[in-house]
Amino acid sequence: MLINNEFNEQKIQSPLRYIWLIFKSKNIAVVAMWAIITLLMVTLFTPYIMPYSPTLQHPDMLLLPPYWAEGANPAHLLGTDDLGRDTLSRLLKGIQLTLAGALSITLVISMLGLLIGATAALTQGVKASIMHHLLDALLTIPTILTALILIVLFGMSYENSLLAISLSLLPQFIRGIYISIENELNKQHIIALRLDGARNLRLLRFGIFPNILEPLVTLLTRIFTMAILEITTLGFLGFGANANEIELGALISKSLELVYLSPYLVLFPGVAIFLIIIVFNVFAEGVRHAIIEGEE
Amino acid sequence: MFNYLLRRIYLLSITAFILTLLAFTIEHWTVHTQIDDNTFSHYFSYLNSIIKGDFGVSIIDNQPIFNTGLVAFSSTLELCFFAFIIAIIIGMPLGIFAGLDRNNGVDYTIMTIALIGLALPVFWVAIIFTILPHALGITLPIDGNISPIYEIPVVTGLLLIDSLLVTERYQLDAFLNHLTHLILPSTVLALFLTSEIIRLTRHAITMVMKSNYIKAAHTKGLTRWQIVYRHVLKNALPPIIHQIRLQLSTIISFAMAIEIVFSYQGAGMWLFASIHQGDYLVLSAALLIISGFILISSIIIDFILVLISPSKRKSLYADQ
Repeated sequence: MLINNEFNEQKIQSPLRYIWLIFKSKNIAVVAMWAIITLLMVTLFTPYIMPYSPTLQHPDMLLLPPYWAEGANPAHLLGTDDLGRDTLSRLLKGIQLTLAGALSITLVISMLGLLIGATAALTQGVKASIMHHLLDALLTIPTILTALILIVLFGMSYENSLLAISLSLLPQFIRGIYISIENELNKQHIIALRLDGARNLRLLRFGIFPNILEPLVTLLTRIFTMAILEITTLGFLGFGANANEIELGALISKSLELVYLSPYLVLFPGVAIFLIIIVFNVFAEGVRHAIIEGEE
Repeated sequence: MFNYLLRRIYLLSITAFILTLLAFTIEHWTVHTQIDDNTFSHYFSYLNSIIKGDFGVSIIDNQPIFNTGLVAFSSTLELCFFAFIIAIIIGMPLGIFAGLDRNNGVDYTIMTIALIGLALPVFWVAIIFTILPHALGITLPIDGNISPIYEIPVVTGLLLIDSLLVTERYQLDAFLNHLTHLILPSTVLALFLTSEIIRLTRHAITMVMKSNYIKAAHTKGLTRWQIVYRHVLKNALPPIIHQIRLQLSTIISFAMAIEIVFSYQGAGMWLFASIHQGDYLVLSAALLIISGFILISSIIIDFILVLISPSKRKSLYADQ
């Protein structure tokens, strides 16, 4: 054997490990990652973290301000609402419902969308043509209108609002996946893989997916952001959650008439939504840059 | 050119057909006006009536739904129009600056602003904006389209034009009153739109700056701003317009959410009120009106794109 592997050992890293190495060097993205992990922990263990039950009323402590303001009670860190319910507990419950909903929507959409998008991109003829025209039609309907229609058809509840939102965001994701796969299909390494006799599945696994990671991350972030915004919008309009399922939008709409008495009640849920979206976007941007640098 | 147009209209008709099917399904599911044994004949009679513009009568106020819907939707369009103007005036220059100097301080600042604009939930910003006049001590109306003291007959449906038509009665007061009502909602919508336009412009500009003809222009000895004026702006415009065309439905859905907070009498408020009162006929009418508008305007935008960038003319399927 001519090549001596024993001394000048060169370890070729897998692409994923390489991307992780680049990602680690970006400070803001790593901070965002830890924030996401914290948020996920909060979502998973909300019942154990909450200081009080979100529906427990304290009749002697109404409309308390948060702890840094005048006249606060340290027993309620972020104050209470007009029925004496603890704001922090309600906020944590809201974050749990909103974030869990958005994450499950993103998961469902990514699976269904990848399946349908890849099928549409890799087949020709009648099937693909029907797909296109249906997508064209569905893409012209504003997502909030689709969600409203579906909620009216299914009936109002938190689960149905999640279903409606995932169905209304699905066409966007399919179209995005379809375009990125279509762009990839014309490249030479795909043609080489085809000449090797690769079937569609093998083509997807080894030829296309490793190369569409970057648009995939962008699309997923987009879908996640839109999902959060739509869950909260539907909750705000009163179509999503009922009295026990207070996600962040419903929390805002319920404290809307108290906005001049205690603006914190409206402020906190909005800031929570804002922070969730910012954190996930910064994280995704870090991942995207790492993927681009890794490819170069 | 003619072929392109023909092909586009053919695609439009298929999409419109699918949309009528969807609207019919919704109508059939929720209201089921006709007691007919045959679904096909029901569909054809439905199609026949919507071609005549007859969507049925609202159970709330006994007005024809189509007219109410059109008037409401045109108010939404006014809102979108103003937000769009604000967004282009602010967003385009910022996007160009960010795209020209990538990865330095200016770029990071502008992109942070854009990210914040995208991450703020619109309805929440709208609520904050309704408190704003009270907090800052300015007098600005925060609800409705126009003060109820003005009686304005519906002529064109667009309140901006209608309020100009009654000038002999109110002078310009009605028009100006309507404009002040538009300020806050359109600013909220513009916040989202600006960040979107900044992102799109930055992306388009960086794509153009990478191409070879920019290098050629550099070697010719053109200064930086000469290159931007002569080559970059012209070539960056088509992709931006194309992306905005795809975003039309998102913009309208955000506008609808904002309207409900400001109780601005647009399509969102109309839908919201009707659904709460159980008038489900509105759903299929709104579907057809709004997506019909988006379809027609996307055809017009495609047509403009073809006019300003000849390379698009060859594309067979208009979306690629």
